[in-house]
Amino acid sequence: MKSKHHNFIQRTIINFLEFFKNSLFFEEHALRESFMQNLSPHIKFLGIFLIVLLTILMKNILAIAVLYLICLLFALTSRIEIGYFLKRTCFFVPIFAVFIALPAFFADFNFALVFVARILTCVSWVILLALTTSHTKLLNALRCLGIPQIFVMTIGMCYRYIFLFAEVIENTYFAIKSRVGGRVHYKHGQYIASWNIAQLWNKSLELNKQVYEAMLSRGYTGEPKVLNE
Amino acid sequence: MHIPDGYLGPASCGVFYAVMVPIWALASKIVKKTLKAKQVPMLAIGAAFSFIVMLFDIPVLGGSTAHATGAVLIAVLLGPWASCICITVTLIIQAFLFGDGGITALGANSFNMAFVEVFSGYYIYRLVSFRSSLKSGRRVLAAGIGAYIGITIAAFLTGLELGLQKGSHSPYGIKESVLVMTGVSIFAFGLIEAGVTVMAVKYLQGREGYFEIKTS
Repeated sequence: MKSKHHNFIQRTIINFLEFFKNSLFFEEHALRESFMQNLSPHIKFLGIFLIVLLTILMKNILAIAVLYLICLLFALTSRIEIGYFLKRTCFFVPIFAVFIALPAFFADFNFALVFVARILTCVSWVILLALTTSHTKLLNALRCLGIPQIFVMTIGMCYRYIFLFAEVIENTYFAIKSRVGGRVHYKHGQYIASWNIAQLWNKSLELNKQVYEAMLSRGYTGEPKVLNE
Repeated sequence: MHIPDGYLGPASCGVFYAVMVPIWALASKIVKKTLKAKQVPMLAIGAAFSFIVMLFDIPVLGGSTAHATGAVLIAVLLGPWASCICITVTLIIQAFLFGDGGITALGANSFNMAFVEVFSGYYIYRLVSFRSSLKSGRRVLAAGIGAYIGITIAAFLTGLELGLQKGSHSPYGIKESVLVMTGVSIFAFGLIEAGVTVMAVKYLQGREGYFEIKTS
């Protein structure tokens, strides 16, 4: 059992880091010259929001399937590899939705099918937006839509820290693994994990000082600017 | 506890957005006024911290996922309004860039995790710690209790919101959704959230200046 738990934690950490590293390629898709990439981020954002809203309203499986196929068509015309797109869109939520709806499939098959199809379609459109829009442009669009500046600035900075923290977790995990060698009792494992979370926060405090000094050296005066401005 | 797109009807999504817009505006105004320039990166760091904590989630019957959030820990360290911004930012990044949680359900997710969990947990922490010294054991316990109750209330609300959609958007009713979401929080993730918060606060009590960063 302990070995299974250990493998689960290892798998989770490795999958999570791999997922993040892959997500760096988001920008690569967004920089390609193609249909969706050439659309204005504001129009794309509002359009996809409306499509997601429309999908939520639908109860007809055929209508949802048409919206899903349009999304796949848009992904293809935007030069996104279809295998990659399907992997990205089915990775999180739709698999969870199938798992959640499993008992419902026996009670009301049609309802469960519509439920899963609706979620898959919504997630696919949102991922299409993320894949075909550079993060700077997406943040700029959020700013223009009236989202307070402090949120937009925090999103921009937070995105970069996530990758940094992922690296810290990976290094800490392998450092512990290489030093401990054998099996660790799960209670001790929880103890190590909690101290690591606290240590992560402590490192964050130190990082805060360094980042602020870096911001000052780049001319920060209290009013953040998005790159495109 | 993330509610993805498709689990809530448009009316529910609209109601939660309508509730959250003034809260976000107020949080933005308060934090902008109270946050010192040198603390600005801390907001982003807090959000990234919460993002990492939230990633370790499991799907639960009833329509959602269960995980720790770090929301009350951030509220204890940065203040509730700053925590509200941090958790919202985390939810925005998860929804828009990774497709985890929904863009139409962002209002509902923010209401549960960035507002109810943060404020209930924080004020329980304040109530239990009541004028005790910053380095006292009581404060550590108070943070743990706040985190446990905060995440459990948020899980209860998530279950309630999903259960209310039965027949139109969710396959399960209030009884199943609330029981499963609250149960998982009481017996699993509430304990993890409390454990993480207690250990982190205890560790940070030994460090100089960790409470000085508080913005509101």
